[in-house]
Order: sequence, then C-alpha cells, then structure tokens
Amino acid sequence: MARYVLNRLAQAVMLLVIVSAIGFAILHLAPGGPLSQFAASAQMTQEDLDRVTKQLGLDRPLPIQYLDWFGRMLKGDWGRSYRDGEAVLSVISSHLGATLELMTTATIVAVLLGCWIGILGALRRYSLFDSLATVGAMIALSIPTFWFGLITIYVFSVTLGWLPAGNRETVGDGSFLDLLHHLIAPAMVLALVETAMWGRFMRSSMLEVINQDYIRTARAKGLPEWRILTVHALRNALLPMITVAGLQFPTLLGGALVAETVFTWPGMGRLFLDSIGYRDYPVVMGILMFSAIMVLIGSLIADILYAVVDPRIRVG
Amino acid sequence: MATVALSTAQSEPGQTAWRRFCRHRLALAGAVIIIILLLGSALGPYLLPFDDTYIDIMKRFAPPLSGAHILGTDELGRDVLARLMMGGRVSLSIGIVAMGIAMAVGVVVGAFAGFYGGVVGAVLMRLVDAVLCFPSIFLLLALAALTEPGLVTTTVLIAATAWMGVARVVEAQVRSLREREFAVAALAFGSSNLRIMFRELVPNAIAPIVVSATLNVANAILLESYISYLGNGIQPPAASWGNMLNNAQIYLTSAPWLAIVPGVAITLAVTSFNFLGDGLRDALDPRMNIS
Amino acid sequence: MTDSTGKFGVGGLHHLGIPNRRQFFQLGAGAAAGWTLSGSALAQTERPSNPPNKPRGQVIAALSQEPTVFHPLMPGIEVDQGVWWQVFSPLWFIDPEGKFVPDLAREVPTIENGGLSADGLTWKIKLRSDVKWHDGTAFTAEDVKFSLDLINNPDFRVRSRVGHSLVKDITIVAPDEIHWRMEAPYSPYMSILSLTFIVPKHILEKVSDPNASPFHNAPVGTGPFRWGERVPGDHIQFNAYAGYHGKGPYLERLVFKYIPDLTVLYTQFRTGQVDYTGTQGILPNFVQEAKALKGRKIFVSSTSSVEHIAPNLEFGPFADRAVREALYLAINKQAIIDALNYGLPLQTESFVPQQAWSFQQGLPQHKYDPAKANALLDAAGWVRGSGGVREKGGVKLEFTNSTTSGNAVREQTQQLLIQDWRAIGAAMRVNNMPAAVIWGDYWQQSKFNSVIVGVNFMLGSDPDVTPRFGSGAIPAKGGRGYNTYQYQSAEADRLLAEGAKQFDLAQRRTTYGDLQKLIRNDLAILPLFQAFIAEGVKEGLQGFSPNINTSSNCWNVREWYWA
Repeated sequence: MARYVLNRLAQAVMLLVIVSAIGFAILHLAPGGPLSQFAASAQMTQEDLDRVTKQLGLDRPLPIQYLDWFGRMLKGDWGRSYRDGEAVLSVISSHLGATLELMTTATIVAVLLGCWIGILGALRRYSLFDSLATVGAMIALSIPTFWFGLITIYVFSVTLGWLPAGNRETVGDGSFLDLLHHLIAPAMVLALVETAMWGRFMRSSMLEVINQDYIRTARAKGLPEWRILTVHALRNALLPMITVAGLQFPTLLGGALVAETVFTWPGMGRLFLDSIGYRDYPVVMGILMFSAIMVLIGSLIADILYAVVDPRIRVG
Repeated sequence: MATVALSTAQSEPGQTAWRRFCRHRLALAGAVIIIILLLGSALGPYLLPFDDTYIDIMKRFAPPLSGAHILGTDELGRDVLARLMMGGRVSLSIGIVAMGIAMAVGVVVGAFAGFYGGVVGAVLMRLVDAVLCFPSIFLLLALAALTEPGLVTTTVLIAATAWMGVARVVEAQVRSLREREFAVAALAFGSSNLRIMFRELVPNAIAPIVVSATLNVANAILLESYISYLGNGIQPPAASWGNMLNNAQIYLTSAPWLAIVPGVAITLAVTSFNFLGDGLRDALDPRMNIS
Repeated sequence: MTDSTGKFGVGGLHHLGIPNRRQFFQLGAGAAAGWTLSGSALAQTERPSNPPNKPRGQVIAALSQEPTVFHPLMPGIEVDQGVWWQVFSPLWFIDPEGKFVPDLAREVPTIENGGLSADGLTWKIKLRSDVKWHDGTAFTAEDVKFSLDLINNPDFRVRSRVGHSLVKDITIVAPDEIHWRMEAPYSPYMSILSLTFIVPKHILEKVSDPNASPFHNAPVGTGPFRWGERVPGDHIQFNAYAGYHGKGPYLERLVFKYIPDLTVLYTQFRTGQVDYTGTQGILPNFVQEAKALKGRKIFVSSTSSVEHIAPNLEFGPFADRAVREALYLAINKQAIIDALNYGLPLQTESFVPQQAWSFQQGLPQHKYDPAKANALLDAAGWVRGSGGVREKGGVKLEFTNSTTSGNAVREQTQQLLIQDWRAIGAAMRVNNMPAAVIWGDYWQQSKFNSVIVGVNFMLGSDPDVTPRFGSGAIPAKGGRGYNTYQYQSAEADRLLAEGAKQFDLAQRRTTYGDLQKLIRNDLAILPLFQAFIAEGVKEGLQGFSPNINTSSNCWNVREWYWA
C-alpha cells in the first residue's frame, strides 16, 4: 500500500511540473500583457510602460522567467499579484472561503438529493418516478449552467423579488440568514448538475448491487427487505460513490466558476476570470497550480480509499 | 487510475419491453430532434424573408408573435428566428467539427500510447493526465481569453479540451487487444504497425468511440455557448447560439425572449445529443464505461 | 532610467519660451486649467439641508471594477483613483467649475501670490500646518519632498514621471513651506499635481521594498476617510477620519462594493442594496427606466473622453482622405447616438471636450449622406469591384475594426457600421479582442486597421495634444507619445509648437482652435460623440457632484451626507 501511494505521489509531482510548464507557456506566449490596462487609460507613456515591464522582470527570456518562478515556487514563494501586491497564496485563500461555501452547500444538497433519487429510481425501476428522474437528469445535465442562472435571476430576483440577484451578503449585514438568502440561488444552480450526476451514478451502482448473488441469497433467506437494502445493498452501492466524489472535483470546480460568474460571487472563479483579464500572471499560475493540486489530491484520495475499502481492486 | 464500472445501462434479461422501448424512444426522439435542428439550420434561412444580419434600427425589440417576426427582433432590429437558424449552423458545426478533431486526436494519441506502451505510452498518457488536471472550463477560459476570438479558434479550443477522454478509452482498448491473437497474427503476417493499429485494433473500440463522439458534440455545443457568453467566441455580426445569449444578457429584464430562445435551442440540442449517446451506449455495448 | 521618463511633454517643452508674468498667471491659476460642467449636472438642488455635525450613516458605492492599487503613486486605473480620493489628499484639486482649490497647500501658487516665479521655474508652496496623518503624526513639508523623491526613485514602480522628472532642488524652508526649481517651465504640472496624492514619509521611509509593503494594503493618508477593511474580490470599507483638515466627512462609513456585472449592479441599485452606482455607472439601456424609479436620482454627465473611430492612417485605404471623408459621411451617427446610446451622449466634431475653454465652436457638422459619400469615392477613383467592394490601384476598400470584446454597445455600433459602409462599397470585418490584448502592442504599435475607442485627449486638463497628434509621438516609429493613428502633418506640428510657446489664453484658444479645425478637416479621427456616464444616487444622499476634471466622481464623498 505504502509503495502504491508513493508511486502515485511521484506521478502526481511529475504531472504538476508538466502542468506548470504548459500553463506558463500558454499564459506568457499569448498576446497582451498586464500593462495593457494602463496603456488604455494613457496616463502612462511607452517609456513608463517599458520601465515597469523591466521592473517586473517581464522583459527577460521566457525560460528564465519560468525557472525563476519555478525555483521560488519550490521554496514556497508563489509570487505576488501584479494588481494588489498581495502574496498569491493569501490572494487565493481570501477567495477560497466563498468558493468552498458554495461548493460544499451544493455538494451536500446534490449528494443527499441525488442519492435519494438514484436509490429510489433503482428500487422502483421503470416506474413513472424513475422515468421522470432519468429524463430530468438528462435535461439537467444539458442545460447551460449560466443560462439556468440567468433565468433563475430573471424569475426569482427580477420578477418575483424573492432572492438577491447576486453577491454573497448584504454589505453591513452578513448575518447567517442574510448569507443563506444569498446562497440559495447560486447553490441551487450549481447543485442542479451535481444532483443529476449523483442520481445517475447512484442508480446504476444500486442496480448493479441489488442484482448480485448475495442479495438474492439474502432475499431467499427471507430477510426483511429494509434490512437487505440498508445493510447489504446500500453499503455496497455507496462504495463506488467514493471514487465519484474524488473524480467529480474538477466538474464541481468548473461549475462553481460558472455560477460565480453569473451571481457575481466573490470566489476563486471570479478571481480567475479577473486575473486572466488583467493578465495577472502570478495569480493565474497560482490558481492553475492550486486547482491541479486539488484535482490530484481528490483522485489520489479516491483511489486510496477505494483500495482500502475494496481489496479486490488494486491498481498499480 | 482506478475506474469503476458505473454504466447507467443495464442489460440483464429481466428488462421489460416497456422500459426498453422507453429508452430507445428517448434516443429516437433525440435523433429526430437533431435532424430537425440540422435541417432547420441548413434550409430554414432560405425559407425566411429576413436576412440574419439585416439591421432595422427602427424595429428594435419587437416581441415574439407581434407581426412578421415570429420570434421577434433583437437589439438591432434583426429577425431572431433568422439569427437562431444561422446561429444553429454555427453552433452545430462547431459542435460537430470540434468533436471530429477531438476524436481524431484522441484516437491517434490513444492508439499510439496503447500500442507502443513503454516510454511512449507513459509520456502520452501523462500528458493526457496533465491536461485533465485542469478543470476543462478553466483551461478553456484561459485559452479563450488568450487567443483572438473567432470561428476557427473557438472550434480548435473546444477540441483541445475534449480529446483526452477518448484517448484514455482507446488506449485501454488497444492495450488489452494488442496481445490478443489477431494482433499477434497480423504482426506475424508482416503488417505494418500503423496498419495493425488503425485497421485491426482501433475498429474494435468503435463502440465507445461512437458513443463518446455523440456525447462530445453535446459538450462542445455547451462549451461554445459558454465561451461566447463570456464574449470570447463567435464575432459579430455572425450569430451563434452562445453569442445570442451573450448579447441578450443586458436586456434580460426588458426583452427576456432574446435570452430564452437561444437557451432553449441549446438545451434542446444538447439534451438530444445526450439521449442519442445514451441510447447508442445501450445499443452498442451495455457494459461499456465512459466517465 | 530617470532620463527616459517624462518625455511626452518634451515635444512641447523644447519650444517653451519664458512666459511673462501675466501670461503665466493666467495659465496656471485661472479657469485655464480646468473646465466646467454644464450647470444642470451640478450639485443637487432638491430640499437644501445642512450636513450633520457628526459623521452619520453609511454609503455603499457599487463599482463594476475592483480597486486593487492603493498606493496612490503606482500604476492604477480610474476605480483606484476613487480610493485614493478617500484616503489621501493632493496639494490642490480642480473643482467641477475648473477652479484650483487648495487642499494640503494653504493656497494655490500663482505669480500674484509669489508662489510661482515669473519665469515659471521656481515654485514655492505654503502648506497647511494643521494636517495630521491618520495615525496622528503631523503632516509636514518632509512628506511632500518624500513623495516627489519617491516618484523619481528609479527602483520605485511609479505610474508616471511626466512633469515630476523636471523637479529639481527641493528645499524644505519650514515644516509648512517647500520650494523647488523646474528644469523647464511646464504649465500642465499644475494639473498633474492636482492628481498627485501625497504619501507619508514616516511610514514609507522604513520599508525595505518601496513596491511591496504592508502600506500597500493598509494605506495611511491625510484624506477624509481611514482605511477600514478589505475583503478581496468583494468590498473595501472606509471609516470617517475625525481629524480631517477639510470639510467633512459627514458619513460614518463608506463601502466600495465590487459588482463585476453591470446588469447585476443596476439591479442591486434598483432594489436598494447599493446607494450609488459608481464606475461604470448605469448601462444606457437602463437609464430611461432608472429615471422613473422612485427614490432614486440619475445623473447623466459628460466625461472628458471622446468616443471615436480611430483609423490607422498608414493602413492602405485610410491613407486616402477621400476614403475617410466618405466613411464619415456614411456613418448614421444619429442612429448610434439616439438608438444605441438612447440619446444620452453629445455629438461632437472635436477631440476637445465641449466644456473646456479650448473647445472650438462651429466646426463643420457631420451629415449622414451616403449618396455624397458614394460620389466622393467615385470621383476619387475607387471603383466597385467584385462583391460590390471598391478598389483603387489594387488596394481594396476592405479593413477590420476592433474594440474590446464584450462591450455590447460598441459591438452594436460595429454591426451598424458594417451595414452603413457596405452601402458605399466598403467592407468592414469585426476583429475584437480582450482588453489585455487590444490595448497592448496591437494598439500601441499601430498594428490595427481601425478601432472604436474612447480617449481623453487632454494632458491633465490642458489641450496640448502633442503626444496624440505630433509627428514625433508615433510609438510605431519610435516616437514618444501615443499617436497611434500615425497622424503626420507639418501644419499640426507647427500649431502644436506654437501653442506650447504661447501663454496668452486668447492666443492659445486661437491656436488650438485652428488645430481642431485642421484635425476635423483631415479626419485624423472619425469622432462619434463625447462620452458620458450615467450614475444613480439614492434620494436623500446629498452632495454628489460630478467632476469632469477627475477620473472618479467619488472625488468628494467627504461632502456627501444623508438629508
């Protein structure tokens, strides 16, 4: 087990290096730069721009810049934002809370609701509920998230006036109820796709399990149905969900980014968009690395957990 | 990586006829809708009396069903239906072409990695893993914001974020097949590696490729709409469903149909492709797994 | 490095003679420097009431861009300036009527009061002695010297050294008096200083890296509000500074709330979650509706930017004046102003804002006349070829037009232009780019065909446009400035040189008037309209006063109060 984990860790580190090189190259080779915004407002002349470019070290050859960045990174220095001069890690952590709040809420809703729908669908296979759930899940997976967000705003904020049109809190309020009020719409939008996915996965996992021999045996033995379901079926059906949770992370992060854009949620997604817009290289690189690390950890944990709980699977 | 068989489809004999019918009926419905959308986009514009780029500034924001314009007019007084059809051409072609590119790249990378294994395989598959490390929307946004927007770049960008899944499927398939008798036999007969790869091995993975392709079209249409929504996609005056939505944003309160119409079109198209893919998966290989 | 800065004014400086006493006075201190807003946009008139004795209540100001640069001497944009106005103070500022008003200085230096020498080279500034930094330390001449030195410190990432690099021999005569010498007389320095905020020596002299220190994210100033807290990506809070030396502040708290989407921003203003919509205000399509809202006041005010189509004059067809005139005639400007911008902006023919003293009245009026445009092109030898696109001598009348992608109204304008210009046989294609791309080398090095852009042409508030239209100011040709149009005209160069030498207001008005006529006649730019901003304020909030001489209408929040 230890060797397996070490091996996976080594692979992960190598991946991070590749990711950083690709990300850095794309970012810096693309046209435009962090100073364009100042050129537009024209308070700065070409000389001013050249001077600041040099002061930021952006006039050096790209490989040098990359090695410099990479070397600092190894020492734990992720650089500073070009915009507010804050350390990249503190910029990320100050936006992380909002994103986590959104992601956690949506995940909890999605897991509970999705598993419930999936299990019920599997047990009452081909019922009206199951068919509706299947069709509903497919549509949910197909709706453009941002469009769903816009429609949500139109209906619940503009027309009905029940929910705020965006933001995380009313400035100066920030009470629990206020936070909750703001959270409903974006979490709902983010949870929609997640619920559909969990429902689909749960349903098939459950179906697979209840058709296994040991369940049939249990039934044959005349055990009460609820006992069969909870003790035998459900436990085994939930196992693969661990992996789903791990592998689901990138989708969740992507979805959060979209929801944040539509609902002007002050999280990582907005930060990422703004940073790209301003070509704030250190922050963009920081977010890329951070999310890559998260994704890798997610899949690593999922694999390890799965290997632990299900000794039949051992992937090298 | 450990992947778990999580096929949504089941194929044990106990399946009732009603259910099977229902499943296939949805796939069928999907196929029919796709054909309607394709035909509508291809032929529709010839049947309409309006040009999709003709601006009539005096007739801005005419609501649907209020006169000659069935779906109303947009912020520049252009016919929304005409734009929807022309936008369909763009969005659907992007979806299909991006899928084509992604499939081609994915199949080639997967086949080479699976066939040669060793260092080549490891390097290629690590590259796949690396690209998969970025949530696809992150990658797409980064790329889109960094390149000049347009039809070609949008298509290529979407393809660039979509080829990895297929590569994995094909790699696994080819790796497991290449040791089987027919590959060994072909090698013994002196066939070239390329020939064996693409004539003997890849065709065996055709089922997952077809399914993946269908789902990829769905995904590509969604991604196009998202890039365009953020203003990095198709350039005006050409219409796409995504940029129609983007332009509609600021008029959401005063002219909601401008946002509803393309949104429904996107949802309809994507749902149809997804159902089609689901149906194909059931039909072609019920045990198959694509995550 | 120091020598390479501040050059964009140099084109004018070489020709500056030594002004006589009266002329310099007029230039430096009169209305010469600023310009005024039309009366209607000035302070609110409803129910006059008096500000409270003690700071009371809070204002939530919504901004669509996030302020991130809090060191007022570093590179920042308009929203950042909004923050600087709260925390810091300049020596003097320009009020909405275009008058210099002393702030940290006791009086605005003029030749009359002895603050300026007759040759404009010696500056003697008397400072207030009752000013305290937010941490209680007294503000002195040392701080002013420190700020000017910091600006010229080669290791410091300063925004710009224009004007400042001419300052030499700074001497502190007394804690409340500072003198310096200018290497050359440079009258726009008065306006430059009006937007130069003074930073505290006692804090910044101790930091090891002038570009990154705790100060950068917790600034300490002499302004009406103290730095409160900042939640990155969300909001910044300021608290009233009881020891402020000027009028106000009358509000206990000020919050700058970042709302990146203009539609959401307006929605929140409508539902009352925010009290004021700052940069970039209310989208034009909402203005009509907003004006009807109960309990809200909407101010539509001109800014000093001129929205125009920028042709690259070195690009194929645009080199021909006949083409530019034909294109201009074929623009349905009225549709752009009335329909796309809801009639809010003022049509203009000049690069000078209409409120400025230097604005030239009576320039030839644009008329939408496609027939005349066609005739003009026919006469100039542009013949319709395949697909109805004209060509002449192998050059096709084909070009791209670019602007910042995502700018809805400009994209609509582009599509209207495509249609208008197709009618006269000109083929335009849209090639929009993200802001970080288009305003980089593409714009700076004149790699574009044509661009739709809003530009503030003025230097501070001075009409010296040498960096915009001087032939030596073309960056693509190694010039110093931002003449990205690549406009070259011996006559314009002559007028620019002359205007820079003149110190009599009437003479200058004539010179810059002639220049405006020349630019209009040459169609170096195709002007569309003078830009505007529509801002909303909750009823009962008094004191809001748009100021065209600043980049942020949050310049005087200190005087805002709830009735």
